[in-house]
Amino acid sequence: MDTTPVSPARSRTRTAWAVPAVAVVAVAAAFAAPPLLASADTAGLPPVTAEELVTRVLEAEPQALSGTVVHTARLGLPDLSMTQVAGADPISLLGGSTTLRVWTDGEERSRVSLLGTASEYSVVADGTQAWTYSSSDDEVVHYALSPEDAARAQGLAATATPPADLPTPEQLGRDALERAQQDATVGVDAATTVAGRDAYQVVVTPRSTTTLVGRIVVAVDAATWTPLRVQVWSSDDAATPALELGFTDVTFAAPDAAVLTFSAPPGASVREVVVPLPDDAALAQAAPTDLPTSLPTDPADAPLPEGVSVTGTGWDTIVELTDVDVAALVAGDPAAVSGMSGIDKQFGSQGAQDLYEEFAPEGDGPPVDLDTAALYDQLTTPVEGGRALSSTLLSVLVLDDGRVLVGAVPVDALRAAAGA
Amino acid sequence: MSLADTAPADARVADPVRHRGATGRLVRSELALVLGRRRNLVLLVGLALVPVLLGLVLFLAQDAGLAGQGPPFVARVTGNGLFLVVASLFLCTPFLLPLTIGIASGDAIAGEASPGTLRYLLVVPVGRGRLLAVKALGALVFAAVAVLGIAVVGLAVGAALFGVGDLTLLSGTTVPLADGVLRVAGVVAYVGLSMTGLVAVGLFFSTLTEVPVGAMAATVVVAVVSSVLDQLPQVAVIHPVLLTHHWFDFAEMLRVVPSADVLAQGLAVQAGWVVVFGALAWARFTTADVSS
Repeated sequence: MDTTPVSPARSRTRTAWAVPAVAVVAVAAAFAAPPLLASADTAGLPPVTAEELVTRVLEAEPQALSGTVVHTARLGLPDLSMTQVAGADPISLLGGSTTLRVWTDGEERSRVSLLGTASEYSVVADGTQAWTYSSSDDEVVHYALSPEDAARAQGLAATATPPADLPTPEQLGRDALERAQQDATVGVDAATTVAGRDAYQVVVTPRSTTTLVGRIVVAVDAATWTPLRVQVWSSDDAATPALELGFTDVTFAAPDAAVLTFSAPPGASVREVVVPLPDDAALAQAAPTDLPTSLPTDPADAPLPEGVSVTGTGWDTIVELTDVDVAALVAGDPAAVSGMSGIDKQFGSQGAQDLYEEFAPEGDGPPVDLDTAALYDQLTTPVEGGRALSSTLLSVLVLDDGRVLVGAVPVDALRAAAGA
Repeated sequence: MSLADTAPADARVADPVRHRGATGRLVRSELALVLGRRRNLVLLVGLALVPVLLGLVLFLAQDAGLAGQGPPFVARVTGNGLFLVVASLFLCTPFLLPLTIGIASGDAIAGEASPGTLRYLLVVPVGRGRLLAVKALGALVFAAVAVLGIAVVGLAVGAALFGVGDLTLLSGTTVPLADGVLRVAGVVAYVGLSMTGLVAVGLFFSTLTEVPVGAMAATVVVAVVSSVLDQLPQVAVIHPVLLTHHWFDFAEMLRVVPSADVLAQGLAVQAGWVVVFGALAWARFTTADVSS
C-alpha cells in the first residue's frame, strides 16, 4: 500500500465528535442571541429637548402596566448576606440585585412583589389602605385609616375642587427644570433601549463637586412617557451606577383584578396599623403647598418641623435632626411594640431560638429586636463622638448627643457641619 | 490495508442486523431492569420516606411551640397537607434527588460495561445510538418515578395527617383547592424536568468509564460544584446557565401570576444541557471500542 487513506472508522469518529461541537455552538448561540437581537436601534426617535421631555412626562397619564423590575444597589455597605438568608425582605434592597414584580392599574390599585428564592414579600395598595405580606413569616400588616378618617377622606375627595389657577404640566415642567438647573446641568443623552422599548434619557449632573452624587440618569419610554429606568451614579465610581432601578420587561395593559386585590390568607397573623390622617385644620394649612402654583424656589423657605434644620444648598444640603433617641429607635419603638399582641421573636434554628429565649429580657419592657440592633451595628462604624454610616451615595452621622446628620456628602463634611 | 486493520474497525462500525420489534423488547427489558433492580428500589423507597418522616415530625411537633418555623414551605405544611409535597421536593432537590439520579444515570452504560454485559447488549439487533436512547429513557423514567414517588407519598401523607384545602400562595393570595392541586402538579413537573440535564450529564460520564461508581460520583460532583458556583457572586455572569441555578424556580408556580418567562428560561437551560451532553454521550458511545 503506497497511500494510507483515512480509515472509515477514523472519519466516522471525526464526524461523530463534530455533532457535540455543533451542539455546543448552537446552544451557546441560542442563549446569546436574544440579548443581541433585543438591542434594537433607536435611530428613528425624533430628537427632544430636556424641557419638552420633562413636560411630556408630567403631562402623561399614569399607565396601567405590569412588569419585572430589577433593583441593583452598589452602595458600598457591609455585606448583609446574614440577613438575606431569611427570605424575601426589603432589607435586601440595601445591597446586591433584587427582582421585583409590579402591577398597577394606573389609578389607585397596585401590587409590588419582592421575589426571593421560595419566598416573596408583597405590598398591595388599594386607595386609602395597604397590605404587606411576608411569605417567610406568614404575616400580614394592614395599613388603613381609622373609619372616621376614611369617611372624612372620602368627603374631602368629593368636595375638593381644583383651583382655577392649577398650573399646566408645561408650566410645572418648566419650573421643575429651572429649579433643577440652579444646581445642576440637565441634558438629554443618546436614546437607549430599556426592557425592549425605545427610551429617551435625561441626565442631571450636579454642579457641586463635594456631593457624592455623580449624576442621575432617567430613561423615559418614548411612546408612553413612563419612566422605565433610574440610575444614580456615585462620584466615586464611573463604571457602574451605585443605584439602578429599571424594568427588564414591561407590558402596558391593565393587570388582572385578582392580582390587585388582597385579603389576608387564613392562618396568617394580621397586624393592624392605623394611619392617622391630619385633622382638618392641618389639612387646610397644608392645602396651598399641596397644589403649588409654582414649585418653591428655595427649599429653605419651606416650613420645617421642629427639631429639623437644614444647612448647605443644592446637592450639598445637610439635614440635621436634634434630640433623636437612636437607641430607642433601634430597640424598637416602645409605643408601637406595646400595641402588638403576642410579640414573639422567631428564629429559623432551634439553637438560636433557645439562646434567644435564654437571654431575651423578660417582663413588660419592649423586647429588643435583635435584628434591628444587629443591623444597626453592622451598617455603622464608630467615629469620634458617635457612629457613622457611609455609602457611595449617602452619609449618616449619629452623634452621641442625639443629633443625626444626613446628606449626600462624605462623612467628613457631615462632621464639619456638626462641628464635631 | 491488512485484514488485521479492518477487522476490528468493521466490527465496531457495522450495525448488527436490525430486527423488527427489537427496540421495543430492549425498552421493556431496560425498564424492568431499572425499576426492578433492588438497589434502585431501595433508593426510591428512601426518597419516598422523606415526606413520611417530614410529615410525622411536623405532625408530632406541631404543638411544641415551634410551628411556623423552618425552611420555606415546611412552616406551611401543618396548615395544608398539599405543602408537604412542595416541602419534600424543596428538601430533596439540593442533594438527595441529584444523588439518586446520579446513581441511576451514571450506572446506565458503565453498569453494563463493568460486569462485561455491554458486549452482549451490542449483539442485540439494535444500533448503538438507539441502545443509548433506550438507556437514556431508562434513566429518565427512573428520575420521573423518583420525583413522582416523593409527590404521591407526600400528597397521601399530607392529606392523611393535615388534610388538604385552599392553597395560600407565596404572594398571600388564596386559591381554590383545584387550582392549588394544579399548581403543585406544575411544581412536580418542573422539578422532574429540571433533572433531565443531570440525567444527560450522568449518561455521558457513564459512557466514559467502565467503573460505575466513578460515573455516579462524577455526576453528583457536577451537581454539587454547580450549586457551589451558584453561591459565589464572583462568577455571577455564568449563574444563569448553571445546571442547578434554576432548580428552585419551581416556586414560581406558587406566586400569584407564575411567570412563563422564568419557567421557560429554567427549562431552556435544562434543554441546553441535555442537547450538549446528549450529543457528547452519543459521540462517545457510537465511536468507543467496547472490549468488555
